[in-house]
Amino acid sequence: MSVVRKTSLSSILIDIILVIGAFISIFPFFWMIVGMTLNPNDVVRGVLIPGKEFVLNWEKVNKTYTVFTFFLNSTIIAVSTVVFGLAVNSLAAFGFEKYKSKIRDQIFNILLVSMIIPQMAIVIPLFRQFAFFKLLDTHAAIIIPSVMSVFIVFFLRQNFKMFPTEIMEAARVDGAGELGIFLRIVVPSMKATFASASIYIFLAQWNAYLWPLMTILSDAKKTLPIAMSSMMRAYTIEYGALMIVVCISTFPILALFLAMQRQFVAGLLGSVK
Amino acid sequence: MGSSIFFKEFMVENKGRFHRYLNRVGWMYIVPALVMYCAFMLYPILSSLVLVTQKWRGFSKQFVGFGNFVRMSGDKIFWEALGHNFLFMAVQIPLMIMLALMLAVILNQGIKKFRGFFRVVYFLPCVTSLVAYSVLFRILLQTNGMLNNLLKDLHIILEPIGWLNNGFWAKITIIMALTWRWTGYNMVFFLVGLQNIDTEIYEAAEVDGASRMRQFFLITLPLLLPVILFSAVTSTNGTMQLFDEPNILTWEGGPSNATMTVALYIYRQAFVLNSDTGYAAALSYVMVFIAAILAFIQIRLMGGKDNERR
Repeated sequence: MSVVRKTSLSSILIDIILVIGAFISIFPFFWMIVGMTLNPNDVVRGVLIPGKEFVLNWEKVNKTYTVFTFFLNSTIIAVSTVVFGLAVNSLAAFGFEKYKSKIRDQIFNILLVSMIIPQMAIVIPLFRQFAFFKLLDTHAAIIIPSVMSVFIVFFLRQNFKMFPTEIMEAARVDGAGELGIFLRIVVPSMKATFASASIYIFLAQWNAYLWPLMTILSDAKKTLPIAMSSMMRAYTIEYGALMIVVCISTFPILALFLAMQRQFVAGLLGSVK
Repeated sequence: MGSSIFFKEFMVENKGRFHRYLNRVGWMYIVPALVMYCAFMLYPILSSLVLVTQKWRGFSKQFVGFGNFVRMSGDKIFWEALGHNFLFMAVQIPLMIMLALMLAVILNQGIKKFRGFFRVVYFLPCVTSLVAYSVLFRILLQTNGMLNNLLKDLHIILEPIGWLNNGFWAKITIIMALTWRWTGYNMVFFLVGLQNIDTEIYEAAEVDGASRMRQFFLITLPLLLPVILFSAVTSTNGTMQLFDEPNILTWEGGPSNATMTVALYIYRQAFVLNSDTGYAAALSYVMVFIAAILAFIQIRLMGGKDNERR
């Protein structure tokens, strides 16, 4: 009898822990939605009942800031990084994995070792490099240095290991060119891997803060994170308007996650197997 | 079709030549990535070796040799910042791993319903951008903000807590924020690890009369150790590079540098305080050095585990 009671008690405790944890996880998302409809004071105070100021906040956002431009900038930058990043990194990963040579394996090891270099150590000389080429304050400045990613090459290479080399040989006998093998056979058969890599690249670029903070100066070029951080810098912070930008930066990613959970998690977990 | 006949003849007659051709293709595939790697990774890091020996003020520079490193040894803020990085590692990472482990074990065995729901919900925080969640937490933790109001209404505190303007509480704030964002992320790793453990082991332990606690410490924990180690390593690297949170959430490493981190200090030296790119580059090299030491320790730890398993 007592055993039964004990287990039911601990299972209630477990349920409580789970629910509290879930509440803490979800609450900020709920709050940012409510915050969009409140005046700045009520946002800070923590009013949790939707107010009537959404339209006013929306007008403020669009009068003072060009929020659609921020969204567009973020999207353009993230999407171009995905496109170029997939092309460059997947070819490299395929080259390393399926056209093995000693020298290239050694090069790959050097790449892996340099993964330990913190971003902060690279961005300062990189900044001078981009200043020299007069590329600061452009979208290209954000896209170009993020295209090649050692992590993505590594991730893709791990996955290409599973692609049977016999298929490539068979295709060669049938007269397929090397690039044709990659584009017509490998890419279509590894869509999930490419989806995971795309999500990873997109997310990293969409959320990027340090490098855009250093390179972007003009309002018209700002991405959502940079826009948010400069809104926080204002003398009087428009919290309601800020919440709108927070939502715009969060919910596309949230939708992406809910739509593609599998690939999303696989992309984040990377190559843990 | 003609080409396939040609190909077969080609293969038979020119095996060596075909091999060289494939080797060329291999190079062609990696060259674009390699060029970008050299231009935006290798060249910057090597070129900053020159910077390390210079002192910059705006656009004028001056050769100082090892002067930057001498300056660093007496730079109180730098050492404090480094201390903060290690403090966050020492407190936040174990806390988060324990929480994540607990949630993972509960989700794996404790409940049957809503498992998928909770997994998704706990994962959500790491979907937010670092800036967005820093902004949210900064608003939430104002002195007259929501959390203080809630705690006062519940009579847990009498005076509002200075989450953002008291040195001690600001550190707690960073730890709370990091834990909020990353616990679910690590939990997913652990869940995957737990699902790989054979349930028969537990059944056998049950027969032998091992309690749930003993099962956890004697079966779950050792088998999960590689995954735990992996997430500790990832978190250590992340914490070493901590930048967004102290810059936005506790505002520029405040209050009075109480949450300053190495990465943020480097940024401020290069762009905010006195634009001394040389000193910032020297600090960066120290950061690389520390990261290398940490990586070395991590590789030893991971390698040791691998040997044991064999």
